[in-house]
Amino acid sequence: MRKDQNLGEYLRAQGVSRRGFLKFCSATASLMALPPSAVAQVAEALASARRPSVIWLSFQECTGCTESLTRSHAPTVESLIFDAISLDYHHTLQAAAGEGAENARMAAMEENDGEYLLVVDGSIPTGNPGFSTIAGISNLDMLKETARGAAAVIAVGTCAAFGGIPQAFPNPTGAVSVSDIITDKPIINVSGCPPIPVVITGVLAHFLTFGTIPDLDPLGRPTAFFGQTIHDRCYRRPFYERGEFAHTFDDEGARKGWCLYELGCKGPTSYNACATLKWNEGTSFPIGSGHGCLGCSEPGFWDHGSFYKPISAGLWGPRETLLGAAAAGAALGIGSAMAARARKNKALKEAEADSS
Amino acid sequence: MTLLDFARGPALQWSLIILVAGIVWRVLGAILLSTRKDLSTPRRKSGLKDGMGTIASRSLPASAFEKRIRFQHITGYAWHLALFVTVLFFGPHILFFESILGFGWPNLPNGVVLFAGAIALAILIALLIRRATNPVQKLISNADDYISVIIVMLPLLTGIIAFAHIGARYETLLAIHLLSIEAMFIWFPFGKLMHTAMTFPSRFQAGTSFGRRGIKA
Amino acid sequence: MSASEAISIRAEYETGNVKPLLHEIRHALERLLKGEDGTIIDMRALPLAPGEEKRIEEALGEGEVRAELNALGPSVILETSYPGVWLVTHRNTEGEIIGRQIEVTFIPSLLESQPEDIRAGLAGLENELAEDPA
Repeated sequence: MRKDQNLGEYLRAQGVSRRGFLKFCSATASLMALPPSAVAQVAEALASARRPSVIWLSFQECTGCTESLTRSHAPTVESLIFDAISLDYHHTLQAAAGEGAENARMAAMEENDGEYLLVVDGSIPTGNPGFSTIAGISNLDMLKETARGAAAVIAVGTCAAFGGIPQAFPNPTGAVSVSDIITDKPIINVSGCPPIPVVITGVLAHFLTFGTIPDLDPLGRPTAFFGQTIHDRCYRRPFYERGEFAHTFDDEGARKGWCLYELGCKGPTSYNACATLKWNEGTSFPIGSGHGCLGCSEPGFWDHGSFYKPISAGLWGPRETLLGAAAAGAALGIGSAMAARARKNKALKEAEADSS
Repeated sequence: MTLLDFARGPALQWSLIILVAGIVWRVLGAILLSTRKDLSTPRRKSGLKDGMGTIASRSLPASAFEKRIRFQHITGYAWHLALFVTVLFFGPHILFFESILGFGWPNLPNGVVLFAGAIALAILIALLIRRATNPVQKLISNADDYISVIIVMLPLLTGIIAFAHIGARYETLLAIHLLSIEAMFIWFPFGKLMHTAMTFPSRFQAGTSFGRRGIKA
Repeated sequence: MSASEAISIRAEYETGNVKPLLHEIRHALERLLKGEDGTIIDMRALPLAPGEEKRIEEALGEGEVRAELNALGPSVILETSYPGVWLVTHRNTEGEIIGRQIEVTFIPSLLESQPEDIRAGLAGLENELAEDPA
């Protein structure tokens, strides 16, 4: 796609009919979790969409987010979206390395100043700058430098959005999220470990289509995908309502597909779209496969206690502390009873002395 | 640390420490109080039977007052029953107890528990209004009565709100629910909620001492 | 056969999402007959249990019309056994499903020829005729 072309012209030049374009729009609207009635609106916006430049920075991450994205199950839509954006820098995917790659980044920043989209995966270490560097530049410096001219920042994955696993206790690198560093740009958090691939492309598609930031929840995540909890949209919810729970991973309840609340499912406090969009071509999602939700799209998910501890259970040290409390209470009780007895005896003696 | 982590962690731990230490303190303190030696000759040998008898007899309305106290009596029983069902048989509650006690038990369907919770809350509100309006009750109520009723009402209210997801995000509602329970734990040993631990032992004690004096109670 | 169907262990439980969906379709049909707008239900937005999508398909059945569209991969537009209820399945060039909708309408708009395409076709036809005056 040429830079001066819009998406409508590009598709027509590729021999895609209007009907094919509408099919694409219908799939894109579904991808963006828009109601089907929004297809016409999407078609109108997409036809005149320009090709934005995208710079993708990877910091303290495992590349799982990029793996997730490149396995997005809708290659046609995805490739069209990637044809429609200009991915100018992504050090995992690009052939260039070192100086050449950095030059490409600088060129893209200069050419599209104030208009390019910055995508970040991975958290940023604030301890020793040497903990994570690219071409000798610390992550912190590169993020600040690249964010300066960006139109918006998309923090892909829980590490970039909330600090994620690198930030888990005891956070040896002093890892922080993008929003801890960048405060003067619109930031879209696309959390998940990794995020659902179609959610990543859906958010890119939204920016490409409408050129705007979608509605965000209090944690900066698009409400279209993160507006409801896993529990709210879970097909096992009726079992929860009936109080039918699996007690172990292999009991009768587990085989009958009952609710996994007792096995530590974090669905009620986790906001994500897994229950409807699902994974692997819509095949399943963790709960569909018999395992509770880990809550990977939530801040600090690694430090909320065991993945197998129910969310209504206490999160605290050994029960023996209560024995200590009982002992302290006993000492207090015995002490106060003794003191009361002493007072009483004293009063009795005084009364006897008075009467005699 | 999120509000929910705080409610499930340190707030729970410290409120339980205060609850356990406070109950043990007050119960032991009461048991170990010296009583003056009764020098009279007992009418009859008093013991277990008198104590248990009084526990039972005081659990029923005294026939002389039956008509006048029927309302309190029925609402009192209904309220305690509804509370026990709500507290002890909701699946997530059992998991909460299991995390403290180390064992659990079977749960009831959520619909049954929700119904019981709503009944308990409604009765408590009715009783609170009655306490605040009935002239006699108003006269004999002190701050402890009001605090104790309200501090028990809050977990019921926040629990139903959390169950129904009204007004805020679930994790916030759940945290508020837990914190309201923890507030009750802290208040428990210092106010009239201690009747939970004291009612039956004190009836037993009264029964045996009346029995010794030959009083039917 | 999809990857999940290849697994021999089957989940046999019912969560009760099929009935409400059929009721929603019934209401949509009533609205359509009253002259109101059609309804489109995105299958991707429904929290379905394993096997429920198939059960919905079976419940709807197959009707008189089956159209195939070839644009950016094949799409099947199927009228179900209930006239006015269409099942639209979009696939990409690799045959993977990229969108699935139940449309309650007289005819899915995707089947209509589009003015842009008609214009392009007309231009082609005019060219053809100009080249061959006989």
